[in-house]
Parts: sequence; structure tokens; C-alpha cells
Amino acid sequence: MSETTYTTTEDTDDTNSTDSMVGTTTGETDEYVREEWREYSFDVPTKLGVDDLDVYYGDDQALEGVSMEIPEKSVTALIGPSGCGKSTFLRCLNRMNDRVSSARIDGSVTLDSQEIYQDGVNLVELRKRVGMVFQSPNPFPKSIRENIAYGPEKHGDIDTGVLARLLGRSDEEQREELVERCLRDAALWDEVHDRLDDNALGLSGGQQQRLCIARCLSVDPEVILMDEPASALDPIATAKIEDLIAELSKEYTVVIVTHNMQQAARISEQTAVFLTGGELVEYGDTDQVFENPQSERVEDYITGKFG
Amino acid sequence: MAGATETRLISRDTSGVDAIAAVTIGLSALLFALSLAALFEIITISDPVAGIPIVTLLGGILVLLGGVVIGFGIGSYVGVVETQPSSSAGLVASATFSLVWFALGGIMAQVIGVGGITWLPIALIIGGAAFAVTAVLREDIGSTLPAGAVTLFIGVVYLTGTIGPAWIWELSWEQQASLTAEFVIPVGTLFCALLTGWAAAKTYGGFGARGRRMGAYLLIYLNASSIVGVLFILIAFTTLKGVPGLFTGATVGLGVGPTVFGVTLPISLPFVMNGASLFNEFQGVLPAIVGTIWLVIGAVLFAVPLGVGAAVFLTEYAERGRFTQVVEVATNGLWSTPSIVFGLFGFAFLVPRFGGNKSLISGMLTLGFMLLPLVLITSREAILAVPDEYRDASAALGVSKWQTIRSVVVPAALPGVVTGVILGVGRIAGETAPILLTMTGGTFVPGGQTADVIGGFQFTATPPFVANPELLQATTALPFQLYALITAGVGLGDTVSSPEQFQWATAFVLLFIVLSFYAVGIGARYYFRRKLQHE
Repeated sequence: MSETTYTTTEDTDDTNSTDSMVGTTTGETDEYVREEWREYSFDVPTKLGVDDLDVYYGDDQALEGVSMEIPEKSVTALIGPSGCGKSTFLRCLNRMNDRVSSARIDGSVTLDSQEIYQDGVNLVELRKRVGMVFQSPNPFPKSIRENIAYGPEKHGDIDTGVLARLLGRSDEEQREELVERCLRDAALWDEVHDRLDDNALGLSGGQQQRLCIARCLSVDPEVILMDEPASALDPIATAKIEDLIAELSKEYTVVIVTHNMQQAARISEQTAVFLTGGELVEYGDTDQVFENPQSERVEDYITGKFG
Repeated sequence: MAGATETRLISRDTSGVDAIAAVTIGLSALLFALSLAALFEIITISDPVAGIPIVTLLGGILVLLGGVVIGFGIGSYVGVVETQPSSSAGLVASATFSLVWFALGGIMAQVIGVGGITWLPIALIIGGAAFAVTAVLREDIGSTLPAGAVTLFIGVVYLTGTIGPAWIWELSWEQQASLTAEFVIPVGTLFCALLTGWAAAKTYGGFGARGRRMGAYLLIYLNASSIVGVLFILIAFTTLKGVPGLFTGATVGLGVGPTVFGVTLPISLPFVMNGASLFNEFQGVLPAIVGTIWLVIGAVLFAVPLGVGAAVFLTEYAERGRFTQVVEVATNGLWSTPSIVFGLFGFAFLVPRFGGNKSLISGMLTLGFMLLPLVLITSREAILAVPDEYRDASAALGVSKWQTIRSVVVPAALPGVVTGVILGVGRIAGETAPILLTMTGGTFVPGGQTADVIGGFQFTATPPFVANPELLQATTALPFQLYALITAGVGLGDTVSSPEQFQWATAFVLLFIVLSFYAVGIGARYYFRRKLQHE
């Protein structure tokens, strides 16, 4: 490790940023790196804006001063080694970290320029707009139809209860339309349309994951957060999920965490690289990040020398 | 010593010795079953089979088995039978055999009539010899010789009639207890069957590691099957004894039965359809049956919502900490509280608040309090076992916590909850002490006073606007009725023609009702599980 210290940000080459974790001027180096990608620009409007986000679990800091802007209707990949805080970052975007009692969150996250970390935020509305798909498929132990209709029914958008049926107000047709639309969007309709009443746990892993995506689509989200959605699946199921993500990005803003760099390179338009310590080291166009990374740490990580 | 030290990859072909060993094992198992049957007096040992008394038959089989087992051991030792024995049968077997022979030696010395304490050294010497034989000699001799000798000895004792059907051993203890042949002979046979079966199984496995495994399997299987057997014997015993009383005065034919909901039943079963009355030809226990069923329904209706609600609060809402720990300890403590304490609580707290008399509702609530801890414990476990992924998935859809609990968590936990309720109902349906103090009036309740809870609801002009005198009346229940019939001797004599039949029939009906509750519970659990799982 070199003992290089930095005095100015201008003349410092970020190839030395490997040392920033032990250097005394960590903050400055970070600032410098951050300026780099703060200038990252895209033509479409910003969907999610993150500014100086810190997350602590008890005394451990999981994210350190992360700032980035995520463009609308595109796929943004978050890559990095295990434990670097990318899942934590993802879970901050729909405030799922609120469910972890030891988590403390500082900073700002905006959705369509509206701050989501402020008093009076309607979590129901937020999570309807920012949906989430988890690492392992987690359908409810209910029928396929019930899985899809679960969200809208609980939100009162669709009512097929006994009382509604007795009063003749049942929205059964709407429900069927919704189930079909979501399953079609998740490329699952052809496989399951004749067994919608079967228990979802009877599906294969890949089908279950696509069902979870369909379930996420049922509440009409604008952003879909995916936490390593294909890590538990075989290559064929993974390919199907990847195709699906490409398809979804036409309509939705997709943010995906992945361990698989090839996957990130294949499906994403932007890539953000997190490295150990919970800092965002590089963010930019996927092609640029993979072919010409600005930071040496990122280059080491991508070429497999580190992480 | 052929094969004594050989180890082989391919096990031997089935030989004649194996076949004999297998037959020996089978015979031992048969003997085991026979002695169990004799112990529960399903067969009588003095009865002859084909002219030979059963006790003689048992003795003959024991002698045969003992001889065969000793033959195995010696055959293996001299190398006629191919085996791979270890150098010793092991410490456990040695200790067991020395204990057996110590007891046997002591008894023999007493029977022969040596005076004073002389029996002790004799027993010690014999026990020590058995230990030495088992521990020092090679495994094939060590595990067959002592076992075979015990069996041979006991077989000879039975054969010669030294212990015959009329034998009795007066123990000169203060209680003047005595051991009869009806007890001693089956127990001895049972024991010998275990020993020879074990030794034969070891021979079948060729001693060594495989032999030990075979021996252990045999003991485990015999144990397991005897437990299942005892369960069935218990049910069969009660059924056999109870059914005659149940069908006393039963008639089948159009219009003979009582009218239920406007339909006249084509069967009349006085025991379950009548109450007690001076004018009845046959007395029945209908009020007790109805009382028991209402008790269980009331207790479940009271305890399940409270228990599940508390479990939801403790697992989903309360922060884990001192408070939840205290609640946990208290719940576990309540579940192991003696039922009479619950009864006293009901007597001191509930009875004065429900009109001052013993009443059905006091009994229901008392049993409900008893059921509550178990429902709470099992529900809590079941809710904790629901994967967090479900909660995450639901929260990510923006569904509120309460909605999630109601629509995902509790349904997924239902099979576990139902299991808890089944266990609890089994316990409270048979409780006597609490209802003795809180609910029961008389033993023989007239049929007209059968609790009619549904029909008892009345509307009143003053608060609380609804009243149910039936709930406030004392009634009876099967366990209490059984207790009163047997212990207190209530109702014997004039009103019932055959008291013993009446008691057994009551016991049978109680067992039947408890098992029916089980069946309903198991059915419900099966239904909920199927709903949760695919296919």
C-alpha cells in the first residue's frame, strides 16, 4: 500500500483510491470520485434521486455517503462484492429498511423529485409505486390467482369478497383481466393459464420468480427493485428473467442488484459499482464502466483481481 | 473358529442356520405378543389349547428357544456356524445378565429355603458368574449362553408346574401383597422372549457389528410395537367392556327413536338418548354427553381467539424483551398448573359472578382458562415458523402489517394452531377436578334437564338484553359422571340394572367423544395443510 496522501482533488489520479479506505483523507478522495459521476448525464428525466445516503445497522455503517440519480424507464444495475451494501441501498429506495429495527438512515431519496424520507410519507403509496422482487422466489402459499390479486385486493382496488358478491358488486372480471395482464407481462401466462387455481408453491423456481414479478406488477408500480432475482435459478430460467427485464424496462424503471457481472453487462444501461465499506465507487453507462472504468479499484474488481 | 476374524465384502448366502435363527426370532416375537395378551387377560393362562394348558405350552416353547439359542452360541464357538463375533459382548450386556442372574439366584436361594441373609452371597456369586461369562468369553458365547440359560430355566419351571396357574407368592410385607401366576407367568415369558429374540437376532446377523445392529433393531421394533399394542389394547378393552352397556335396550325400527329436529330416528339407543328418570326402563347419560360437548365448545370458543390474538401480539407487535419473556414463562407455568387449582379459581372467582351456583358457563370458562396457555404456546410457535419472506413480500406490495397478519401469517400458521387446540381439547375433555368444583350438580340428571344452550337464549327488556338460563344451570359431564359412579358409588342399585356395564359404557362414550374431537381436529389440520401446499 502506498502512503500517498492527497492535497488537492484536481491532481489526484483516482487509481490511488484503493488507499482511500486507510488513507487519512478518505473524504476528499470520495468527493473527487463522486464529482466524476455526478456529471454523469442522461437524456431522460430522473426517476430516483439519492443524495448523501448513510445507513447504519446498530454501530455498523452499511452505506457511506451514496449519491446517484437513476433515469426513468431503463435498467440500472448495482454490482459489487458481498456485503458492500448494494442490497441495503436497494431496500432504502422503497423504505423496506424501516422494517429492520436496528437500521438508521440519513440522507435523502427522492422519487419524481419528492422526498420519501420525510414525515407524512404514505408508505402504502410509496411501495405501490416502487415494487420489489426478492432474491429467493417467495410466492404466498395461495393459488396463482390469489397471489396476483393479493395486492389490489388488500388495497381495495378490487373487491371479490363474499359481501361484494352478495351485493352484486364483485369485481371478478377486473380481477381476471388483471391476472391475465400481469401474467402476460411477466411472460408466464402461457405456462399457467390453465391452472390458475393451483397452489403457487407447485411451480418451478423460475416460474415462481416470474410469478413474483407478476405479483409486483399487479399494483402498477413505476419502479421495480430486484434483489438478485436470478441468483437462485438455473441458466435457462435466468435467461427468461433477463429477457423479461429487458421487456419491462420499456414501461418501468428497473433497478437490479446482481453478483453476476456478465448479467449486468447484458441487461443494464447504467451500472453502479459498490465496493467494500458501503461506498459507491463508480457510476456511469454500462459500456463505459465495463470497458473503461475510471477507478482502478473498479477495474480490479471487474477483471477479477479483487472482490 | 472359522470366520471368527474374517471380514468379507460380500455377505454370506442364506444358510440353514440363518433360517433357524429367523424362525427363532419369529417365535420370540409371537411369544412376546402372547405374553402381552396374557398380561392383559385377553387369554387366560390356565385355558387349554388342544388339551395342553397354555402355561405348559409357554414353558415348552421357552425350553425350545433357550436350547436353540445355546446351540447357536456353542455352534458358533466351535465353528459349525459361520460368524464374525467380537471379543466380548460388552459392558451393558454383561451388567444386564449379571443383574438378571443375581435376581434369579436370590429367588432360588429363598425358595430352597436357606436361612437369614445367606441368599445374598449365593445371588452375588451367581450374578458374578453371569457377568464373567458374558464379559470375558467371546461374544457368541457371552450373549447366547446366559440368555439361553435363563429361558431354559424358566421354561423348565413352567413345564414342571413349579409355577403353575394356581401358584401364588405371598410376599411377607406389611401390605400383604402377593404375586399371582396370572401376573408372574406372562411377565417372565415376556422377558425371556425379549432375551431369546435379541440373542437370535444377533446370531442372525453373525454377531459383530452387524449382529449388534440386528439385536438393537429387534429390541426397538418390539418396544415400538408393544407401545402401539398397548394403545390398541386399551381402546379395545374399553370398547369390549363398554359396548354391551351401550346397546342395552337398543331397538331398531321405524319410529322407535326420539324426535330430533322433527325427524323421528329409526333407532333407539337408550344409553345415549335417555337421561335418568324413575320411569325409565333403561337409564342413559344424554345430559352428560351434551354437557361434555358444550363444555369443549365453550372452552374452545373462549380460548382460541384469546390465545391466537395474544400469540399474534407477542410475535408480531411486542418488542422481544423482558416483558415477552415474563409472559412466556408465565404461560408455560400456567400450562403445567394442576387442574384442581384452575377448579378452585373457577369456584372462588367465576361461580360467585355467575349467580352463585355451579353453572355450565363457569365450567366452560374454567376449562377455557386451562386451554388458553397451550393455544398460546402452540400458536406462538406456529407463527414464528412462518417464513419472513411472506411478510417481506406483503410489505413490498404496500400491504399493511395487520392485513398481512390476517391474510398471510395466520393462515400459514393455522395447521400448527389446530394441532395445539387438538392437544388441549384432549386434555380438557377428560378433566374432572375443575368441573367438579364449578359445574356439576347431580350425577343422574333427568333427560329433561339436558342443557339446551341454543334454545336457552332469551331476550330481556333490561340490560344485558340477552339471557340464557341454561348456561347458568348446573349440569353434568362424562368424566364427572364416571368419577361419581366409580369412586363415590352414586347411582348404584335401584336405578341401574347392571352398574358395572353402565360404568364401562360411560367410559367408552367418553373415549369415543374425545377421539371424535381428535378426528375433527386432525381433519381440519389436514384441510389447512393441503390448502397451503401444492397438490
